[in-house]
Amino acid sequence: MATPFVPASFQPPLPRERLLLTEPPGDERIDLDVLVVGGGPAGLACALELAKLVERDNASDGGIGDVQIGVLEKAGSLGEHCLSGAVVNPRALQELFPDADLSAMPLGKPVGSEAVYFLTGSRAVRIPTPPPMKNHGNHVASLCEIVRWMGEKAEAMGVNVFPGYPAGALFVEGDRVTGVRTVATGLDRDGNPTSSYQPPADLVARVTALAEGTRGMLAEAWREWQGVGADNPQIYALGVKELWETKVPLDTVIHTMGWPLPTDAFGGSFMYPLEPNVVALGLVVGLDHPYRALDVHVLLQRMKTHSLFRRYLEGGEMVEWGAKTIPEGGYYSVPSRRHGDGVVLLGDSAGFVDVPSLKGIHYAMQSGMFAARAIFQALKQGDTAAAPLAEYDRLMDGSYVIEDLHRRRNMRLAFKDGFYIGGMKAGLMTLTGGRVPGRRIDMVADAHVPRGDGGETPFTPNGALTFSKVDAVFKSGNATRDTIPTHLMVGKDVTPEAAEFYSHLCPAGVYEVVDGGLRVNAPNCVDCKATDVVGPRWTPREGGSGPAYKRM
Amino acid sequence: MPGVLVVAEQRDGKVKRIAHETLAAARAVADNAGGDVHALVIGPSGTSAEGLGNAGADKVALALDDALALYQGDRYATIVAARAKAGGYAVVLLGSTALGKDLGPRVAARLGCPLANDVTSIVAGAGITVTRPVYSGKAVYTMKISAVPCVVSVRPNVFAPGAFGKAGVHETVAAGSEEPRAKTVQVKEPERAALDVAEASIVVSGGRGLKGPENFHLIEELAAALGGATGASRAVVDAGWRPHAEQVGQTGKTVSPNLYFAVGISGAIQHLAGMRSSKIIVAINKDADAPIFKIADYGIVGDLFEILPKLTEAIKQARGN
Amino acid sequence: MKLAVCIKRVPDTETRIKIAADGKSIEESGVKFVLNPYDEYAVEEALKLKEQAGGGEVVAVSLGGDASQETIRTALAMGADRGVLLKTAARPLDPLEPAKALAAELKDSGYDLILFGKLAIDDYNQAVGTMVAELLGLPSVSSIAHLEIADRKGTAEREIEGGVEVVEFTLPAVLTTDKGLNEPRYPALRGIMMAKKKPLEVKEVQLGGGGVEILELALPPERSGGKIVGEGAGAVPALIDALRNEAKVL
Repeated sequence: MATPFVPASFQPPLPRERLLLTEPPGDERIDLDVLVVGGGPAGLACALELAKLVERDNASDGGIGDVQIGVLEKAGSLGEHCLSGAVVNPRALQELFPDADLSAMPLGKPVGSEAVYFLTGSRAVRIPTPPPMKNHGNHVASLCEIVRWMGEKAEAMGVNVFPGYPAGALFVEGDRVTGVRTVATGLDRDGNPTSSYQPPADLVARVTALAEGTRGMLAEAWREWQGVGADNPQIYALGVKELWETKVPLDTVIHTMGWPLPTDAFGGSFMYPLEPNVVALGLVVGLDHPYRALDVHVLLQRMKTHSLFRRYLEGGEMVEWGAKTIPEGGYYSVPSRRHGDGVVLLGDSAGFVDVPSLKGIHYAMQSGMFAARAIFQALKQGDTAAAPLAEYDRLMDGSYVIEDLHRRRNMRLAFKDGFYIGGMKAGLMTLTGGRVPGRRIDMVADAHVPRGDGGETPFTPNGALTFSKVDAVFKSGNATRDTIPTHLMVGKDVTPEAAEFYSHLCPAGVYEVVDGGLRVNAPNCVDCKATDVVGPRWTPREGGSGPAYKRM
Repeated sequence: MPGVLVVAEQRDGKVKRIAHETLAAARAVADNAGGDVHALVIGPSGTSAEGLGNAGADKVALALDDALALYQGDRYATIVAARAKAGGYAVVLLGSTALGKDLGPRVAARLGCPLANDVTSIVAGAGITVTRPVYSGKAVYTMKISAVPCVVSVRPNVFAPGAFGKAGVHETVAAGSEEPRAKTVQVKEPERAALDVAEASIVVSGGRGLKGPENFHLIEELAAALGGATGASRAVVDAGWRPHAEQVGQTGKTVSPNLYFAVGISGAIQHLAGMRSSKIIVAINKDADAPIFKIADYGIVGDLFEILPKLTEAIKQARGN
Repeated sequence: MKLAVCIKRVPDTETRIKIAADGKSIEESGVKFVLNPYDEYAVEEALKLKEQAGGGEVVAVSLGGDASQETIRTALAMGADRGVLLKTAARPLDPLEPAKALAAELKDSGYDLILFGKLAIDDYNQAVGTMVAELLGLPSVSSIAHLEIADRKGTAEREIEGGVEVVEFTLPAVLTTDKGLNEPRYPALRGIMMAKKKPLEVKEVQLGGGGVEILELALPPERSGGKIVGEGAGAVPALIDALRNEAKVL
């Protein structure tokens, strides 16, 4: 019998020397005032709010003048690496665009009916909607569409958007972040330049806003370097999502718990009507489960065979597939400070996600907006050190974002004791407004959770309702160049147990066990970051690689 | 009554098969709308127009001059436009070959008339109605042209040549003498020895069913017999059996040849998406339930190690004819 | 050297095509639009020729709606010097109409070379470039995969069935470009930033309706499974017969 193994033993450390550069940027560098790393909801909200503040300021005398704002995005176009359920609280978008009508926003219909079910293999038992999950006033939406819309607005305001340019390292001088170096393109498998080689580009800015999304690599490096910890380590869930065009219309926002998840795995599913005949569904599972062989993609495929889902999907067509991790630690995993000399941390990279209500998008936008206000003041004063940027943390701490996260600070964490105990504790928390149980629940990082036997679900896809990973990855729009250098850092001496674990961990089939050894199909990677959390390290690869989500 | 003028393409003094296909399309039009079908052959002296009557031409006009042995856009366009005007034709038809795709627009611009490129069907009624693939073969336009004349090029391998037994009366026409402003000075051999899988009109792809790289000669031999390119599934490229340049599907290439053989390939979506817009797909696999058979136009269930050599032999014989 | 490149905004090749409610066009919502891939070779070649000549101007011209400004900006980000949008609401399918509008713009502008992509991946007309040459009375070579220019003379190569045609011409001329001519450069960061500042002139134009009436745009018939013609090597003759006489691909 195979022994339990601890994923952390096989993880290479964060390659800090590569990620934090003390050498000065090259002579060909681009000078900006503010550089945003990541073109998602947080990054774009920051750029938009800042552009608005600058414009308003320049409308009168003594204005701040020209402020060059740049947004770096690793996907080939904005939105292509964005994925979420999603049911969005519109308040941040409305604050960002006070003159726009709700109907002009890239949001679907407001949520009408909703239902939560506890599933067994054969039944779906309706349970009362837990209060944090009530979605009245919120809208089903596609994050891709939201981001594209925000991007257009940003460019119209003069923001420089650079799609296809992943950030590969931070420039640092003393304790200050001074800019970013991008990733080279056009290297072959062995790292040698081909005829389409383009060297990395250096960008220098007075403030760098890190909005890299879940498990942001530069944010991790900066935190480690600056010793910025949190009460608990960040923990993650892996979500695998599909978009279907269906013949049977759906008009209810549905969440489920229970089957097919084992009781010691935290998670649940969602099924949302983006349009009556366009259904977004997915399964989200905490990466702190105790199994070597638990496979979220496979569990999602099995889940679709349940009549609750099948009745909508049968006869329809899966048009998109994707995956992404979600930071789940909540209040206690938010870094103790989210600002430094010349730098701020936004959105998912700072852990602003509330799992009980499944909300993160409007928090991301709000964080971007608060950061923009602090950055604007700092630029006005001519001082972008930590002290003036601390205003960002003050704004966040005094806002509904931290208030929400604090109220539900232990809900997700309670589930480390399993579904039923966790459920009871969560119920208590709701009743008492978060006061009971109130003391912080200790967590370990996902990579330190030992993995043992069990959790397998052997499954043969039928190619119509259920799909293999190979077929699924194709539907993510992934057209990564096959010959790029591998971007994944595998630890030394990977044991068969570890290889098996990786092969089930990765939803995109990057890792395969072949003849007892580990084979890495790096081009399959859809940048979900699950690998970085409990497996081989992820690093960014040439711009435009990875998925090309359209309406996820 | 206005009729159809067919530009009958020749190479090295011999009329090409596409000319017969174009004449067949012209006959369909003329037999509906009335009028004659006249062929126009432009080429070097001594070009043979044998068989064009049988292929459907009531008359064959020959504009021959050694300076026209190679395609000269300016001069060919002058001759065709003059003939089209003089004859009052309703439709000028060409094959959508390299020559036709260059000549068609020239003639249409000179005649000031509409152009329909690469059609897959043509029907004469009130005006002519054509279908043509667009959006990389993902959609089809049905369009109507009422203007007279119009220029239409027909896709190769769509219209079957026929035996119409028409008179094909020869007539010599002026070949002109202007010096072309862009002059073709020679035709070279193509540089690449191996056909690029993305460019070839026939592709033979092998998958895991070949069992090992040493067996891929079976694929290469069939491809050679067909004059096509070799392709490979992602699985065998990842396994190192075949080079990346041959990979079809999922981060490899998307191909849309006229004829695609999927040998020992089960048909994962990624591979299917790569070759889905091929005109004709033939699958050879020992598993009758393999997904590839769902989209293949023709299939043989069986042992590829027995089937391929026989198929290669039969192709060689068939093409020899 | 003064060069013009005519470019078009088209749906990305990976687009999943859906037919719009009118049955004659594609559903555009959610579609990603890009610079026509064949036009990228044209822009790149123009930039290279200007660099080789040691100076000059590359003008990117596009016929289309307002959104085509984005496409022109892409060419500017690659290095084109200025852009012209011939703004039109309608774009008839008949290639002669766009050709007339472009020819009117390009006439008497003193361009040494005018480049087009060989075809647009939406309409597959493969005609506008060559037609513009005819309307302007200029020599043209289409689908070029190799080009050399020296002393106002050019030599181009184009692929034909089973061979490569070598064509000589004098400037000024019109060329349409094919894959293999060059490797288009990605816009550099600085290029993207500078593109916003380069001049982009918008001119309203009116196109005629053209002589092509769209009756329908449809998806190709769903590939249904075809025939298993037989089992084992014995089925080979039946397959050959089907390929030859039914499918007509042999």
